[in-house]
This record gives sequence, structure tokens and C-alpha cells, in this order.
Amino acid sequence: MNIGVYICHCGLNIANIVNVDVLVEKVENLEDVSLVRNIQFTCSDTGQERIIDDVKEYGLDRILIAACSPKLHEQTFRNVAEKAGLNPYMVEMVNIREQCSWVHSDNPQMATQKGYSLIKMGLARLRLLKPLDVDTVQVNKNVLVIGGGVAGIEAALNLAESGFHVYMVEKEPTIGGKMALLNEVFPTNDCSICVLAPKMTEVNNHPNIELFTLSEITEIKGNVGNFSVSVTSKPRYVLEDKCKGCIEDCSRVCQVEVPGKFDYGLGKKKAISVAIPQAVPQVAYIDTDYCVGCGLCQLACPSEAIDYEQEEEVVVLSVGAIIVATGYKLFDAAKKEEYMYGRNVDIITTMELERLLNASGPTRGKVVVPSTRKTPKKVAFIQCVGSRDESVGNPHCSRVCCMSSLKDAQLLKERYPETNITIHYIDIRASGEMYEEYYSKTQSMGIEFIRGKASEVIENGELILRFEDTLEQEITQRKYDLVVLATGMEPTESTITISNMLNLSCRTDGFFSIAHPKMRPVDSHIEGVFVAGCATGPKDIQSSIAQGSAAAAKSIRLLNLGKLETDPLCAMVDSSKCISCGLCEKICRFGKIKITDKKAEVDELSCQGCGTCSAACPTDAIDMRYFTDEQINAQIHAALEVKEEFPLIISFLCNWCSYSCADLAGVSRLNYPTNIRIIRLMCAGRVDPEFVITALENGADGVLVAGCKLGECHYVHANYSAKRRLEALQQVLEETGIRSSRLKLLWISASECDRFASTIEEFVAELKELGPIGHEVLRDLK
Amino acid sequence: MKNSTGNMSELPDISILKCMQCGICSGSCPSGRFMELNIRTLIKKSASGRPVLDEDELWMCTTCYSCQERCPRQIKIVDWLLSVRSKAVHEGNIKPEHKQVIKNLLDTGHAVPINQENIEKRERLGLSSLPSTVVKDDGALKDVKNLLKSCGFDTIINEDQI
Repeated sequence: MNIGVYICHCGLNIANIVNVDVLVEKVENLEDVSLVRNIQFTCSDTGQERIIDDVKEYGLDRILIAACSPKLHEQTFRNVAEKAGLNPYMVEMVNIREQCSWVHSDNPQMATQKGYSLIKMGLARLRLLKPLDVDTVQVNKNVLVIGGGVAGIEAALNLAESGFHVYMVEKEPTIGGKMALLNEVFPTNDCSICVLAPKMTEVNNHPNIELFTLSEITEIKGNVGNFSVSVTSKPRYVLEDKCKGCIEDCSRVCQVEVPGKFDYGLGKKKAISVAIPQAVPQVAYIDTDYCVGCGLCQLACPSEAIDYEQEEEVVVLSVGAIIVATGYKLFDAAKKEEYMYGRNVDIITTMELERLLNASGPTRGKVVVPSTRKTPKKVAFIQCVGSRDESVGNPHCSRVCCMSSLKDAQLLKERYPETNITIHYIDIRASGEMYEEYYSKTQSMGIEFIRGKASEVIENGELILRFEDTLEQEITQRKYDLVVLATGMEPTESTITISNMLNLSCRTDGFFSIAHPKMRPVDSHIEGVFVAGCATGPKDIQSSIAQGSAAAAKSIRLLNLGKLETDPLCAMVDSSKCISCGLCEKICRFGKIKITDKKAEVDELSCQGCGTCSAACPTDAIDMRYFTDEQINAQIHAALEVKEEFPLIISFLCNWCSYSCADLAGVSRLNYPTNIRIIRLMCAGRVDPEFVITALENGADGVLVAGCKLGECHYVHANYSAKRRLEALQQVLEETGIRSSRLKLLWISASECDRFASTIEEFVAELKELGPIGHEVLRDLK
Repeated sequence: MKNSTGNMSELPDISILKCMQCGICSGSCPSGRFMELNIRTLIKKSASGRPVLDEDELWMCTTCYSCQERCPRQIKIVDWLLSVRSKAVHEGNIKPEHKQVIKNLLDTGHAVPINQENIEKRERLGLSSLPSTVVKDDGALKDVKNLLKSCGFDTIINEDQI
């Protein structure tokens, strides 16, 4: 073994505190070290060339760089190794800047000592590193879009235009989603279908898009790059290739009148109909819930398109990526009994009002009071029906209802200037481009705003609305002849079925959760699955379109090269040790480790590499390729070989928040005691209780395990596993006479460097008080 | 009446701090429609740390629970109000009428007074002059009095003031 060690001065950043010459002298004598150099700036071109030359000249096979944080330059030095002809994973970086010189400027002597210890730990790990290969796998470049609403349409068109083949699956007989049912849309008051219909038609006509309507996903197998999807299409009983969409002939003869599903029960349709006049595909369908099978439509159809013999069909599709755009459903207003929806016909929802306003709706655009069929004189809008309401399980704001009521109020006022309109609201939320201006315009049109959530509607020959005008502090009531409930948005039923099939997680509000609540708005937790539009929570049309485009771009980025590289940092199973207990399968919330043929098997392409399965495995059958048990144990032993100070703390930090937090403490030049030796892992979930025990057995006085804040784990739930596992270990320690406080758990964000530093200070103080490891056992014996 | 500054915004299991002042409580309040009670402003006042123990409004609530059932933030409004009333009474903020009811209970085991007017009413309806309750049974009445005394119920009124 020929190891080259490079100790960086980083100008004076390191060399001013850490005595680099002393380090060089001491490291030279260590086993397997062939060469030690101190370099002013190792990351500079000359520094990099020096390393490449040395590898060639001295036949180095492994490189250790003691410099800044690996988060800054690990990739740089992996590239250097590759250029020098080494495997890029034969490099170890030791952080003697952010986690040493910058945080121990008050104690240069101990900083140097700690630097030496960190290099020894790095060497111990480096000796055990193995070359890793990045495999490439061929991927299928087709994309599945689930849901044909505006978000799905936008995603599909972007993909298709970029040359990707798209399958779009829609459960209704037409695409277009909720937007196709709206009358006009804010803030421009454009006709909704006029802007959407061309896109719907384009989907149907695009050579790269294959459309499945009246269809649902029934099974999804496989992983990123190679999903296999079963699509079940319900019979339409109308042949798509023969139907001309004329609808008059068949619908006219049909004797069965049914409530118009796409008019939300207002008006009547026939059992054979098209969903909306602009339906895509422009094909009739028979509603089997109502059709009596009289056969009249078959006789009437001039193109012989009716086929009662049609059966359910299942198609299996192969795709590389999936875009979930399953949208939302409207809150059932009948659940708010106090508003009498469903018990009095003159109380309607905003969606029903949309249909009344719509020229192709049941009244052909005439707004009437349902009971009298007359133009309403006094209209009330009640905001937040089923939104911001924990009593119906919907704590969230539905984001669009304020704007949609403002819009409906404007349209009503324009068409019926004599009508008085009042909006009963809690807060008007008009945050979007040109939205506040829209609000102000609505006010200027003479629409009244009353602040106070309407408390009930009572019926006394007329509709009476009770409320407090909270700005006037007046508890009162008022008569209206039409009450419109601004119903909120809820996740669709298919959210649960799709999440089960794909192992996606949902938030407490029931919508799909995303990989990062801010930074990754269209990524799900599962590789190759993206989510767009209202499937992840209420959104306006503009945002849904933006997300559809974003999801398409993400899919293109993923599949464009036609191949994917595996991340070598994944889990691996020694099947001779596996006893098929299934614990790993339960703990992996990504579903990427499964028991097949009585042995655990990892899906290496999509394993996230957190290592929580490895920590959970009772027989140590699972190991992590780049963070093996052996490597971690070697680091622990190296740190404790000579106990340089008391107390000595071994610390396991996750790569994401907590290691970054420790780096930030350095960048912020906070000082904390030198007593800590940090071992970087991908996740706190990787910390096997055995690591803690090994550390304590070998003389560590304390162990600190830190991970992302609970609920913010990079691997979603892995830090919860860590917490459960290590809290159990704390109990075990207590039972064996060791104070559980020697194992400290810290859930911290990357920005809380003050808290990180103070935690170490406090921990050191606590351990001083407690005495060296084992002291309490002796004391208890006495 | 004592002017208390006790902060009632956070009680065990009840927090009124998350109130968003939507007004569904006050709009639903049957008393509020006829009296000066505005439960929303009372909550607002207390949530901002101002004293409410000597508010007359406290006693205008009929505890119908409409507000609590409809509160979108699921604040236990009536439970909160009952706790505030209880605190108020313990601090001496008690109305003379309520003291009279307490005294009735202590004397006769009844909140409804057994006075000449009620006795005459009963007799007119053909009922016995006294109801068949503890008031008819000296032993039982004594037990009730003991019970009330052992809970310290008698200490919440100062009889001289009645």
C-alpha cells in the first residue's frame, strides 16, 4: 500500500493555527505512508498537478488530503485521482480547516494534536477503501403522465415536443380536468376553455402522445428508468375510431335522463353523452350506471360506433419516468351542516356557479336562483368552506378560492349590474402577479366585503345568513337569495392508491409530499417519479402549468442520455448472513430493499444510500459500500488509540444538515472545545448501536450522534429510525450501569451552528462532571 | 370586586393563542345576538394578555357550545370560558345573584329556592309543598351539606355580603 498524504496550508487558514511541520513529521512515520507533502493551496492547479505527478512517479495507490471540508473539494480530488489513473473513490479528505483550525483558534497546540488524530482516522478509513465502479444501465425513454388536467397536459406537451414518447392516462372520459369546466379565469378574465382547448386537441393529435381516457393505473412495478405500468381502460361502449362526436343523433333518442356529472348535478344529460362540448377525445360515452340497454342509440348512430360488447382492457406500458398529476377534488360542502348545502337548492358551490356562468353549462350562461329561476338580487359568497378548518380535517388554505370568488363576483356584477354582491371572508389572499390589483378592482366595482366567517345559513321562507362583521364588531344577519360556498380543495381518492403503488408519502393534509418542501417542488421521494399541479396541494392554474413544465424538464434531464449511472454508495447484502427477518424491508421507506427468495435484495439503481437498513440488520448482513462497518470501526479505533484528551467524544454526523452545520461553525469562526472527533456518515440512520458501544468500550467518554431536524431528514424518515434505535440504546446503557447521558442525540439544521458549538461545550462540561467512562460503574459499586 | 391580572390565554389542554379571529364563534352565538357578549373579542382580549376575570360578558354565555363546535381552529372556547369563570369565582369576582344560588344550595341542597312563592306554586298544582329531595330528609340534607363543605364550596361566598 502506497499512500500519499497532502497537508494543505490553505494560505494561513490552516497553517496559522495548526503546526503543519509537526504534522508532516509525525505522519511520515505512520504505516503505509510513502509520501507526505505540505502544500500552500492543494486545490490550486499546481497542487493538483503535484498530486498527479506524485502518483505516477511514486506509484501511489491511495491519497489522503488534509485540508478543507470534503463538502467543498471532495469531487475536485476525486477528479484528480481519476486523471492520475486511480479509482476516484481511493481518496480520503480530512477536514482540518472548518472542523479544526477555524474552530480551535484559541488553542493551536490542541488543534495540531486533534489534526494529527483526524489524519490517523482518515488513514484508517483510507486503508480499507475499495475501488468503486459507477455502473450504467439502459433506460426506457417513455414517460407516463397520470392525469389529464392542465398540469398533466403541460407536462405531456413539453415532453412530446422534446421528442419523448408520452402515455397520458385519464380516468374521466375527457381530458382537461377542472380547468375545462371553469368559465373564465383570473386575473385576466380569459375564457378558460378558449385557452385550454387548443392544448387539449394538441395532446390528442400529437404523434408522440398516446392518450388513455376512462382509464386508471392498476399496477406499477419496477424502478427508475424501467417502470412497468398496467393501465385498465373501462369500456366506453362507443368505438373511438368510428364516433364522429356528433352526439345529437344518439343523445336525442336516448330516453334516460341523468344528472349532469360535469355540471355538478345541475341540469340534465342523457345516459349517452359527451362530458363537455369541447371534450377530448370528441367521442360519446355511455354511463353504465344509468343506461338501460334499450339499443335506440345503436340504431340511431349513422357511423355504427355503438358497441355494447366492449370489454375492459388492460395494457402494460414500459416507461422510464412517471409524472403524477392527479389534481384535487372539491370539499363536500354538505359536511358543513350549518350552511345547509344539499338541503336548500339556492345554496350552491363556486364550481356550480362556474357552470351556471359558463355558456356551455346547463343554463347556457344564465345565472339564476335555482328555486325561482330568476336572476339573483342579493348574492353572498362564503369563503373558506372546507379550508382553514380543522373541524373538517382541512387545516390548509386552498389558495385559489379568494381569487375565484373575486372573479365570479366581477363576472356577476358585469352581467347583472343591479345585483348586490357580498363576500364574507376571513382574510383575502390575493398573492400572485396582478392579484392584489384584481382585488382592488373588485372593490371598486362596488362589491361588498365583510370580514368575518359566516356562521350559519337559516331558512325562514328566505335564506338568512348569520355572521359577525368583525371590523364593525356587529353581530347580525342578512337576507340573500343566492348563497355561494367557496369550497376548498382536497386530495383525490386516487392519491392513496397511487401512493401505495409507488411508495410515495403523503403529508398530514393528505396531499403528496415532495422531496424538499422548498427546494424540490416537483420531485417525489422516489427516483424517477415527479409530481405536478394540485396533487401536491392547492395551486392556481399558473403554478400548475409551471409545475407541469418543471416535471417535464426533470424527466428529460433524467432520461435524455438513455442511460443512468448507479450511485455506488448504496447498500449491499451478504446473502450468506441474511436470515430473511424482513426488518430491512420494513425500515426502508423507499421500498428499495425487498426479501426475494428468502434473501434481502437491494435495488442498487434507486437505493438512496442512507444506511438505515444496515444499522437495523440484526446479523450485519447489510453493509454500505463506501461507509462499511469495517471502515467506520477503524476510524473509531484510530481516534481512541491514544486518548489524547479528557473527555474524548466520538461524534457521528450526517452528511447533510449536521456535518454542514459543523462546517458552518468553522466558517463562522466559532470556538468550541477540541475534545470531539467527527466521523461523517450519510445519515444518522446509519449509526449502528454497535458503533456507539465500540466507541465507549474503547475509551470514548461520550458519543454524539447528530442528524437533520426531525421531519427534515434528507431520507425522509431515517432520522426517526435513528432516534428510536438510539433511545433504546440509551436505556440499555442505563441498565448496564453506564449513564445514558454519555450518548447524546442532536437533531439540528445546517444553519444552527451556535447551537452545535454550545452543545459540544455543554457535553464536554457534563462529561467532566461525570468523569471518565466507567467511572459511574465504579462509583456505584462503592 | 377584585381586579385580577391572571393570564388566561393558555390553560392545560386549551390554547386560545391560535385563534385567527374569523368570527364564526361570535356570529354563531345566540346570546351575542341579544346581549353585549362578543366571545371573539373576549378571546382576543385574553389572548393578548389583558385581564378578563372581571368582565360581565363572562356570565352572559349560555354554554350552548355552538362556537366550540364550529371553531375552525378547534379551540375549546366554552371549556376555556368555564375555566375562566371558575378562576374568577375563586378570586372573588362573583355576582350577588350567583352567591344567592350558592347559598340556596348550601342551605337546602337546591339551587332553585324553596321560598314561599315556590311552595304556593307547588300547592296550586296539587303537589306537596316540599319536593321529594334532600330538603325533606334532615339526615340526607346534612350529608349534602357535609359534602359541599368538604369540597370547600362554602368558602367561595362571603355570607356577610349577601
